[in-house]
Amino acid sequence: MTETAKHEGVHQLDAGPLVREWYGPDDVADADGIGAPGEFPYTRGIHADGLRSHPTLVKIYSGLGTPRDSNERFRKLADWGVDILQIASDLPSQIGYDPDHIMAAGEVGRVGTSIASLRDLEIAFDGLPLTRFRRVGTLFNSLGPVALAFFVALGEKQGLQVADYVVDLQNDPLKEYVARGTQFLPIEPAVRLACDVVAWTAAEAPHWYPLDVCVNHLNQAGAGSTNGTAFALANAVTYIEELLGRGLAIDSFAPTLQLFLDEREDFFVALANVRATRRIWAQLLRDRYGARDPRSLALQIMAYGHGRETRNEPLNNIARIALGSLAYYLAGVQSLYTASYDEVLQTPSEESVKIAVRTQQILGTELGFALTADPLGGSWYVEALTNELEEGIRAQLAEVDEGGGAIAWIRSGRMREVITGGAVRRQTRFERGLRPWVGVDRYAVSDGDDSWMVRPVRRMTEEAEEQRRREVAELRRTREQQRVLRALRELEATLAAGGNSVPAVLEAVRAYATVGEIADVMRGVFGEWQPDQTF
Amino acid sequence: MERPIRVVIAKVGLDGHDVGARVVARGLVEEGMEVVYTGLRRTPEQVVATALQEDCDVIGLSILSGAHVPLVRRVCELARDAGLDDVLVIVGGVIPDDDVRLLKESGAAEVFHPATTVPAIAGFIRANVRGTAVAP
Repeated sequence: MTETAKHEGVHQLDAGPLVREWYGPDDVADADGIGAPGEFPYTRGIHADGLRSHPTLVKIYSGLGTPRDSNERFRKLADWGVDILQIASDLPSQIGYDPDHIMAAGEVGRVGTSIASLRDLEIAFDGLPLTRFRRVGTLFNSLGPVALAFFVALGEKQGLQVADYVVDLQNDPLKEYVARGTQFLPIEPAVRLACDVVAWTAAEAPHWYPLDVCVNHLNQAGAGSTNGTAFALANAVTYIEELLGRGLAIDSFAPTLQLFLDEREDFFVALANVRATRRIWAQLLRDRYGARDPRSLALQIMAYGHGRETRNEPLNNIARIALGSLAYYLAGVQSLYTASYDEVLQTPSEESVKIAVRTQQILGTELGFALTADPLGGSWYVEALTNELEEGIRAQLAEVDEGGGAIAWIRSGRMREVITGGAVRRQTRFERGLRPWVGVDRYAVSDGDDSWMVRPVRRMTEEAEEQRRREVAELRRTREQQRVLRALRELEATLAAGGNSVPAVLEAVRAYATVGEIADVMRGVFGEWQPDQTF
Repeated sequence: MERPIRVVIAKVGLDGHDVGARVVARGLVEEGMEVVYTGLRRTPEQVVATALQEDCDVIGLSILSGAHVPLVRRVCELARDAGLDDVLVIVGGVIPDDDVRLLKESGAAEVFHPATTVPAIAGFIRANVRGTAVAP
């Protein structure tokens, strides 16, 4: 970075490389090594026919207010043809606090829906069988076994077999410690819980997706998509080695892992990063872990279609998001979220989510973007950029490996230092005018009120929060208390003995134990994460 | 010699996105201020206790979870109760315009959005910090 810093200008990519004036055949020395779509190392995509037999699935991250508010929204998403519903839950749910916990005050139902128990999920899916979507899931990065148990138990309530539906979870705790912030346990037990989920699905539901290793949050926090991809791969290595250490065979679980990519600064980087990451993954899994199953080597990628959305003139975000998402269709990803144009301001309105869903459906259906595999493959610029990004990712990954791996890098603060350094660099470049932003520091005007462009959403009120507190108190009064206590004691014993937590969590969830109660058992056994005050 | 401006940057509530808070913290150090960062997930009580202990001039609250109205109100109330009337409270986050008005009514001096420069924040602090502010 230091040798190129002096050239830094608007032609320096956030992801690292300096873009030249033009590219030609000399810039792609290894053009023969690119391979074909559907063939190792899968640079050009994991299916020989591109998106024809496996269209990019439309994924939406959605959830708001109370479970009943979410149910209303979920029904609409199903009608619009959303393939994968990933439930957005509020922060108390994700961090293991019930709505009546002191730490939940003001946060209930804010960034997503409040989920305290299986009862809430039953309400959120009232009239919506889990089979209504191609896949369902949620994030619950720090509470993966609880998320898994919720969907298993909800399937049971709906009379479904595990084979009938597909669950897709984020369940990636490591990046929380440096970039997203829902961690509440020390790192090692958090990794252990996440891997419990993967081990359980490998045995019981091998068609489910138990863990998305996330680049998105690392990139957004400041790592940039090159370093962010390297860190995510280092995190993946940590999960893989934990699972191998338990005696699982690599090919029994690797096909169920996904990687979650995101690049908001540059269209070509978004595309090239997907291609580079597929190649690195295929070689890593084959050469380091001896994976043989082609499904282990062919990385399933989900992505987040974004631009750098702005708060002012928010309708411009529709164009940004559509163009950002286009890169992922051309790269042939397996599933994609598209941001909603008002997401930068609020929980998206129904209208804005509908535009996001339709944007994806247009990209996948009209205008020919999905007709042939890797249509930009062979472009000198795209291939050169793919190579250059690959080199950057490999270099950072090697540095983490040599430094003891992801956990060591997180614990020592090295991973966060790279992230913060990147965030400071982005801010500095913005302040120097090197990160052009239409309507902000280019072509900016102040010619009126933009508020009409954003439809208001019903927001969580203090009364609704109080209602949630009453509901959880009511649940505790009416459920079979002895069964709950028995299940929580069993969970405590399982965690202390080092067993897979999923069966015990599942029994607790079936008994209507709350998220907070289950998380408290985990805190009791493992201790609590402590915040870091360095910056 | 005049004492540098002391700033407590705080993450209040459950929001875990602290990159903005840390970038501003570093930037204000560059601007010659002394900065303490609380780390994630602090309660309003903890933030005000830190402000008292650090004898700060400015409390900078970073919130992106949507819980800004009750949390900022509570910090401002507790700060007044603790006798920190002349401490400048500023807020950073994604705050809808209607809420900006509510936050200012609660006692926040200014609300900064993501497309803000650090020098702009530093300039606001210098113009309004203890002793320099002109009562409205």
